[in-house]
Amino acid sequence: MNLQVELFTVPGCATCGQAIAVLERALADPALAAAVSWRRVDVVAELDRAVGLGILATPAIVIGDELVFTGVPAVASLRLALQARLPGAGAGTRERGT
Amino acid sequence: MSSTASGSRSGQRLYRIGEVARRTGFSVDTLRYYERIGLLRPVNRAQSGVRLYGEAELSRLRFIQRAKAMHFSLDEIGRLLEMREDPQHARDEVRELTRRKLAEVEASLTALASLRDELTLLVNLCHGSEGGCPIIRDLDGEG
Repeated sequence: MNLQVELFTVPGCATCGQAIAVLERALADPALAAAVSWRRVDVVAELDRAVGLGILATPAIVIGDELVFTGVPAVASLRLALQARLPGAGAGTRERGT
Repeated sequence: MSSTASGSRSGQRLYRIGEVARRTGFSVDTLRYYERIGLLRPVNRAQSGVRLYGEAELSRLRFIQRAKAMHFSLDEIGRLLEMREDPQHARDEVRELTRRKLAEVEASLTALASLRDELTLLVNLCHGSEGGCPIIRDLDGEG
């Protein structure tokens, strides 16, 4: 089963475009691309879900129902976070970003 | 004449009813009423007959204020004050009420935390956006 990634954005958000670009660059890795599917979520449309996940600002990246990044992460950090959450990856390697 | 009495009880400062009303936000009539129905113990009086309130009464009034903010009834507040006064010897019924009210307060805190988070998100979205506040515009559009 694919690892689900949700990128929470809002129209007019100054840095959300950068977050999308970072996510696309992280998924340029063929192994990740094959294992990860992602969608862009408009916070306005899913406000309750965003609050439930603990999102306090955009952009925010949720990996498998876990808020992992708020803001624009480095490509390498995002790759590591994704790799750590792939099925079969050791839970001990997980690191929560901010 | 100062609104603070010159008298003291065991060295503590005592306050006239007007000063207590100013400090707590309760009206003078409400303070008298609370004494009449037993929420406040009969307060000391100066030789002139003026009511004098100590820190214990102020603390009790602050508790009443917080409980009223939670929409507890005066009857419930009275029983909670009983618990507050002597928790070791409170009746089972009062202990149970206290537990129920604690659960209500915790539920309110959870709801408030969720509201706080939602408002924080809205504020941050507006702050971080270009050209104004898209969230507020969109929400307005729903009406």
